[in-house]
Amino acid sequence: MKKFALALMSLCLVFVAACGSAGNNVANEGNKETVKEAANEETKTEEAKPVKLRIYAQYADDDTKLPYDYAVAELKKEMPNVELELEVQAQDDGQKLKTYAATGNLPDIFGAGLDIISTFKKSGNILELDQYVEQFGFKDKMQPSAMNTLVTDDGHTYAFPYAGNEFVLLYYNKELFEKNGVKVPTTYDELMTAVKTFNAAGITPLSLFAKEKWPTVSLFDMFVTRNEPQGIKKLDKGEASASDPAYKEAAEKIVELVQAGLLPKGATNLNYDQAAALFHQGKAAMFLNGQWEIAESTKHLGDKVGWMYFPGTDAANYEASKYAFSGGGGPGGYAVNPDTKDKELAAKVAAFLSLKYAEYKYTERGNPLVATKVDKAIVTEYPPMMQQLSDDIAKISSTTTFAWGLSDAKLKAAIEDASQSLMTGAYSAEQFIEDVNKAIPAAK
Amino acid sequence: MTWMMKLRKNNPSMQIFLWLYALVSVYPLIWMIFYSLKNNDEIFVTNPFGPPVHLRFENYVEAWSKYNVPVYFMNSLLVAAATVTGAILLAVLFSYAAARLRWRFSTVAHTYILVGMFIPIQVIMIPLAILVRDLNLANTYGALIIPYIAFNISFSSMVFYGFFRSIPIELEESACIDGASIYRTFFSIMLPIIKPAIATMVIFIFLNSWNEFTMAVILITKESLKTLPLGLLFFQGQFTTDWGAMGAAMTIASLPTVLIYILFSEQVENALTVGSAVKG
Amino acid sequence: MNKFLGNKTAILLFIMPALLLYTVMVFYPIAQTFFRSMYEWDGLSEGTFIWFDNYTRLFQDGLFFTSVYNGLIFAVIITITQIGIGSILAFAVADTKFKGRKILRISFFIPVVLSITVVCQLWLSIYNGEYGLINKVFELLGLEYKQDWLSSSKSAIIAIAFVNAWQYMGYHFALLLAGVKSVPEQYMEAARIDGATKLQAILKINIPMMAESYKFCLVFAITGGLNAFANMFIMTSGGPGTSTYTLTYLMYRSAFRVGEFGYGSAAAAVLVIECLIATLIINRLIARERISY
Repeated sequence: MKKFALALMSLCLVFVAACGSAGNNVANEGNKETVKEAANEETKTEEAKPVKLRIYAQYADDDTKLPYDYAVAELKKEMPNVELELEVQAQDDGQKLKTYAATGNLPDIFGAGLDIISTFKKSGNILELDQYVEQFGFKDKMQPSAMNTLVTDDGHTYAFPYAGNEFVLLYYNKELFEKNGVKVPTTYDELMTAVKTFNAAGITPLSLFAKEKWPTVSLFDMFVTRNEPQGIKKLDKGEASASDPAYKEAAEKIVELVQAGLLPKGATNLNYDQAAALFHQGKAAMFLNGQWEIAESTKHLGDKVGWMYFPGTDAANYEASKYAFSGGGGPGGYAVNPDTKDKELAAKVAAFLSLKYAEYKYTERGNPLVATKVDKAIVTEYPPMMQQLSDDIAKISSTTTFAWGLSDAKLKAAIEDASQSLMTGAYSAEQFIEDVNKAIPAAK
Repeated sequence: MTWMMKLRKNNPSMQIFLWLYALVSVYPLIWMIFYSLKNNDEIFVTNPFGPPVHLRFENYVEAWSKYNVPVYFMNSLLVAAATVTGAILLAVLFSYAAARLRWRFSTVAHTYILVGMFIPIQVIMIPLAILVRDLNLANTYGALIIPYIAFNISFSSMVFYGFFRSIPIELEESACIDGASIYRTFFSIMLPIIKPAIATMVIFIFLNSWNEFTMAVILITKESLKTLPLGLLFFQGQFTTDWGAMGAAMTIASLPTVLIYILFSEQVENALTVGSAVKG
Repeated sequence: MNKFLGNKTAILLFIMPALLLYTVMVFYPIAQTFFRSMYEWDGLSEGTFIWFDNYTRLFQDGLFFTSVYNGLIFAVIITITQIGIGSILAFAVADTKFKGRKILRISFFIPVVLSITVVCQLWLSIYNGEYGLINKVFELLGLEYKQDWLSSSKSAIIAIAFVNAWQYMGYHFALLLAGVKSVPEQYMEAARIDGATKLQAILKINIPMMAESYKFCLVFAITGGLNAFANMFIMTSGGPGTSTYTLTYLMYRSAFRVGEFGYGSAAAAVLVIECLIATLIINRLIARERISY
């Protein structure tokens, strides 16, 4: 019996060892990397050796899959020796990417937003791309108005951007407004009247997918921009306090409107599909989303849908702040792992993918708001709402940022939580101010 | 046993409660299958609870085309089987020693092992991932199997410990007098008695491993090693999700376990009766 | 006997494999968490040692108290419902004369078999304020009582706790069933001869004899409640606002959304200690002596 127990135990150990040995090759490769890198430098002139690069990128819905597939297909033509091994990005607040960085297992190319850039910058997990921007002439390929998406606050580039400056729009169902005799609001008072009238008619005034926190921040930001064009961006820089009048009034107004029934029941639990369904099926009169919603809403509502300028505190304020848009853009896009074997190649691939990704969005997805210039003709005609927006772009006097573009992670988390709380109507403007102010960074 | 029958007849409300509860328990399974045959509109707005208006089998086609279902499936099976074997073995041995053998730090060791239950996996993900790399386990089945076994030890040891503690000491005394070794006592007397507990834990650990997502998504990057829950990643976009296809993916992942459970529960039931026969 | 049960080789053989694996894979990362809780650290770069500053900050953080409170509510709700209902179902189904017991037994366990994502999606629909089942039931009963179950900061944590309680009730049911089954038949026989009713027999014989089973069910339910995470992650993302945060969620937020890994580790350390205290209390409350027949 003793033998049996011994055998059992050694079996366990063998098992553990076996599991380990299979992995040796893979892990050892990492150690050898430095040696190989040196070798690579010398042989590069020979060119066109097959290279496999790991990439971590968004790849789930049509808006991310189709442009990616297009970019990869184009890459195949341009650099047939490069093969990409895709890992689908998880919606996990960067948990996976940060763990990769901590274990030294970062993919060669990865999609990075501002939060990843600022964390990885500190820990040396992201390659500074200035040299390659120069080398590839990437600056000349940028839309001049989208330069802010290429360069971060410290003056360096860490990712090749594809998304340009995007905007939050307040969509509305023209038919519902007409049928119920509601004037498209230009002031807060008119907005309140609209809320009351729609509620009386059993229509949800404004649909919002507040389960995600950023739309609630954007709604707050829209109110703020009536009197403070820099909106939440100013808080992010530490140049304003949430108790300043523009912010305080915005919070108070939202509480008032929510209590009057602005939002659908259980708004903080609606995901995009649920909230959009309310609007698309004519059960909600207004809808808040980025300009990327244009295509989807046009598909469902045709010419019944439009977007409006955000109401102001009064008529004069409405006119004055008409072109103070909410939303914006920031550094982000395809970034490169500093430990990749061939930095130049990885950077080249990242830059190429960004350009092609943007190109597809521009030509096929009806989205002119990309970071880079596209010289190809548009395949999918702009819907009228996009036309209206394009016409306005030159007139836009100021933009702010989306929640994901906030550079201070602490403020971002706090304002996201607090804005979502505002949507319940049971959270006061005072609490909001207190919670947000605790997280405002010291002025830089 | 007639007195029990009598009680039963006197207690129809209990019967009703049990059957109602069973209904409520089975409904989610049916709901999941309905869900997997609907589109986003039906799922969320028009028809969240009833059967689908028309059967959208294209969800399954979509799900099946997104990732290599048979490969993921086999990986899940392999990982779960290895985890069950490893965790049960280690936990039974440990908890027998902790519950019944006499040594100084047995209680301390038992509590020490329990701590593993107190920590949510998200908390220790990064140190764990570093460990997996340093042990050269990255991108092998071991990257999942080893941590899975380790994390299942705590809970299963606690259960086995409880069962071992309820066994009367006389059993070992008589074995000792008969001259049996401690190993023989363990394998031929103790193990059969806790068979019901082992059977139950086999199911628990299997499910834990089969449905595990958090570790798998971070520790496994190689396509050929991925397990079924990772398939869900292909449906969740930044802003939108293809819920119907995701439902199909979830059904593909869960239905086999339900079937395995139904088949296996017969075995559990047998183990339970055998167990009590030994004792009775 | 002492020599028999004190066989050193046997003890080592039995405990070492588990202890070794557990220490390396589970305990070492936990120890790291405690260590890192004394750092200002973003999870990637060097970090600075700051003694107990994270803890001082934690005990001044309103969110910390919300999280602890929610964890306790969650633990209480799931413990009472899972062990209560689990016991009733287990005792009922344990009776071999019961018709349809096989079907019942399989049914009760089904929610456990499904993944947590499926179950949470279902309950999201059930709780929905517009078309949810619960509100429909109220409507059918002619009541005007409509609730936004998950959108009110007061009811959300309770609503989520019930989802967990309902889904994992099957675990407790199965464990308790195995426990009932290992109570020797002759004790029930003896009770019958004494003229006890079934309920009396259960209360006087089964439950005391199942003390060990109840002990681990309690530990399982309470610690599971204290470190709840997946349910709120899927159903409310901690919202509305921060009203369904638990310590695990606070850790997740600090570590991954805010990039304060050290601070998150401190929250996790408090959680581990909280669970340890709960376990020790349970062990104290439920008699420790070995049951002798």
